[in-house]
Amino acid sequence: MVLAVLVCVPALGWAETMKVALGNQSLYGDPNFSATPIAPVPQGAEVTVVSKNQDWYKVEYKGNSGWMHRSAFAQAEAPKAGGGGLAGLIFGGGVTQTKSDEVALAGKGFTPEVEAGYRQQHPEANYAQVDQVESFTVDEAKLQAFIKEGGLRP
Amino acid sequence: MRRGQILCAFLAAALVLSGGCAGMDYTSIATIAVKTGAKAVEASRPISDSEEYYIGRAVAARILGSNRLYNDSQLTLYVNEVGQAVARKSPRPNTFKGYHFAVLDTSEPNAFACPGGLIFITRGLLQMCASEDELAAVLAHEVGHVANKDGINSISKARWTQVLTTLGTETAKQYAGAGGQIISLFEGSIDDVFKTIVVNGYSRGAEEAADTQAVSTLRSAGYDPGALTTLLGKMQAKQGSGASGIFKTHPPTGDRLTKVKSAAPGGTQDKMEAVRTKRFQSIKL
Repeated sequence: MVLAVLVCVPALGWAETMKVALGNQSLYGDPNFSATPIAPVPQGAEVTVVSKNQDWYKVEYKGNSGWMHRSAFAQAEAPKAGGGGLAGLIFGGGVTQTKSDEVALAGKGFTPEVEAGYRQQHPEANYAQVDQVESFTVDEAKLQAFIKEGGLRP
Repeated sequence: MRRGQILCAFLAAALVLSGGCAGMDYTSIATIAVKTGAKAVEASRPISDSEEYYIGRAVAARILGSNRLYNDSQLTLYVNEVGQAVARKSPRPNTFKGYHFAVLDTSEPNAFACPGGLIFITRGLLQMCASEDELAAVLAHEVGHVANKDGINSISKARWTQVLTTLGTETAKQYAGAGGQIISLFEGSIDDVFKTIVVNGYSRGAEEAADTQAVSTLRSAGYDPGALTTLLGKMQAKQGSGASGIFKTHPPTGDRLTKVKSAAPGGTQDKMEAVRTKRFQSIKL
């Protein structure tokens, strides 16, 4: 019986509207990363999920329709702590969807301000090179050409 | 708090309905659950993707405090192309700020995955790789650690509970999240992760899980999953009596090799692998 309760509860937490938890996301024309990006979707944006295809969600956002990978909602797709409370407790809860007193708690933690304080105390930490590593990006068109040339799967 | 009470009453009701624990006083169970429920909700918040990102940056900054980047733009681009080709086929293709790959200028063979997706491979390990597929195997294994959140999971539970408790106090609110205690806990969290990924290595279970995931990712990406078997065999052959570097942090144990070999026997080479190996060899180290 307990097992039955646990299995049923997550379904209560699903909502049609989901919040994007990660930055630098896009709507894609097809459910794969090789598809053409249609429009950028900022972190925190609320999109309407109309259907699902394995790890990809068909969503609508600001008049555009396209696909987003489920991992873009990593923090938000856990069951709502407000609606399916037990699920929130058991599964860790969807931080970006809580509406009660945990919101204040969830809004802090390890933030850029904490990093700034840490950097002041640790001048030996080489953040300049970390920023350099984060600037290493691969142009999508070049990556597709690389994948194709090597007979890899897009 | 009211929600915590509802949750715990629900939990107690579920226990009653289950018919288990015959003879127990369910009123007491409910009372205890109500009292502890709110605290459990606070303490159960997982580390968010953005917090993982800031921890990863700090761990990377510490690694780069004693290791230089190998500044070769052509090599760096190539490693990033291979890394991105495997990362998008992993179970976690997206992280808060994406995956980034870099080469460390040291001849000691090793690789590190910082939480959030900053991944380092040393010049020494690159030199041990004989093909693009072997490089992809290294990177797929490290992406596996990020996907499994092995770095973040090495932060002690007690420390994270303390972070949440501290954040809930008025003092922390006044500091707007940048109080001295939080910085100290941030520092401790970085120590936990750094010691695990750079000094002691992950558990055998975490290593084997990252191997299993690497085999699956390599296969999905179109690389030869047997490349991981080849590379582990090479590492095992080079492993001396005094384990250090990658032989300490990623021990190529017989068990590990046997499991990978069983999942990805290798030995099959398609014509495109030769194309990939050629472009690997064209990159000067």
